[in-house]
Amino acid sequence: MTSSSDQSNEGATGNGHAGRYYGQGIAYLPLNSYPGKLIAVEGTDGVGRSTQIQLLREWLEVKGYGVVETGWTRSELMQPTIELAKSSNTLNKLTFVLLYATDFADRLEKEIIPALKAGFIVLSDRYIFTALARAGVRGVDRQWLRSLYGFAIAPHMVFYLNIDVKTLIGRVLESRGMDFWESGMDLKHGDDIYDSFRTYQQKLLKEYASMGDEFSFRTLDARRSIDRIQEELRRQVSAFLEPAEKIPDSVSAMAKS
Amino acid sequence: MTFSLLHATDFADRLLYKIIPPLKAGMIVLADRYAYTAFARDATRGVDRQWVRDLYSFAVRPDLALYFRVPIDVSVDRLMARRVKLKFYEAGMDLGWSANPLESFRLFQGKVLDEYDELVQEFGMEVIDARGSITDQQRLVRSVILQHLNLNHVETTDDELV
Repeated sequence: MTSSSDQSNEGATGNGHAGRYYGQGIAYLPLNSYPGKLIAVEGTDGVGRSTQIQLLREWLEVKGYGVVETGWTRSELMQPTIELAKSSNTLNKLTFVLLYATDFADRLEKEIIPALKAGFIVLSDRYIFTALARAGVRGVDRQWLRSLYGFAIAPHMVFYLNIDVKTLIGRVLESRGMDFWESGMDLKHGDDIYDSFRTYQQKLLKEYASMGDEFSFRTLDARRSIDRIQEELRRQVSAFLEPAEKIPDSVSAMAKS
Repeated sequence: MTFSLLHATDFADRLLYKIIPPLKAGMIVLADRYAYTAFARDATRGVDRQWVRDLYSFAVRPDLALYFRVPIDVSVDRLMARRVKLKFYEAGMDLGWSANPLESFRLFQGKVLDEYDELVQEFGMEVIDARGSITDQQRLVRSVILQHLNLNHVETTDDELV
């Protein structure tokens, strides 16, 4: 249907300019260098994102920052619809992608942009990369996906919690067990949920990894302990938010000379 | 944006369940509105035109697209004759251009019609003058369809019974 589908450079790709739209964006919502910061934490199902975000949030709040959290399929408009669609068997890969995109658009307009405008730090539990990875694995055209998400804002920081399938399986089984969608059972790799989980998550991890350079992921080894990961997160976030903290070093160095 | 994406989701669902299967079976599919409606409405709401076109790139390009063109006054008169209340989104009330539904409808749909005029050029739609009587319009539609469609070519499937 496109009249000129070759404008591929207009979608979500590359590092973008942090805090700006990747593509043409939303024409009726111009972004005027808002004071807030957008920090995304990405990673596959069960990798420990929520735990890290909760700890990061407490730490940031103690430091005096206003923090807003947003997460996948949490939009008021779309959550009931998505749950309903998942529980029926009518979803196909295209409607799945579009429902996710609608949820994201709703949260962008109603939560993320207003919070950035008001100077909050927005911690996003998953971002568009989850959508790109899940749809990519399901064979949806990657260029079309990037164009679709051209209305997304490039985050100031994207942390990617990287893990191997073996460790992931252990963690998921220890906590809540394997879930139909997280095991990619809709892809019909077989009736065995364990095998399906393994195959599906392996593909997802590859897909995430392939986006690392494209979107400047800050990759963290999620196999380490919760504390070690959190320490690294805080170190990088603090270096970004308060580069001024380094000044005392140089001041003391100057004082010595 | 959410308005645009929800419609696209609905469209994708209908495309895969209601449009593509009959096309594969060699049937004629009549679509009351198509992606062009989204192009016109979404652009009027300030959504990027190229983005909407890319979004709908999964749609099948129709063999023939008819556009029933009427001036905004005729459209308003017809609606007013039929019912009293204009629908909120149909009148573009979400845009806050006017608190008066009728006034808002005129402003919004007027702009939508302008968008359609651009689409006619871009996608080579066949324009039907919709000011005329239903009979006149239908005769026109039939002649246009006959030109585009060689009805003898529509296959009659007579697979052998097993």
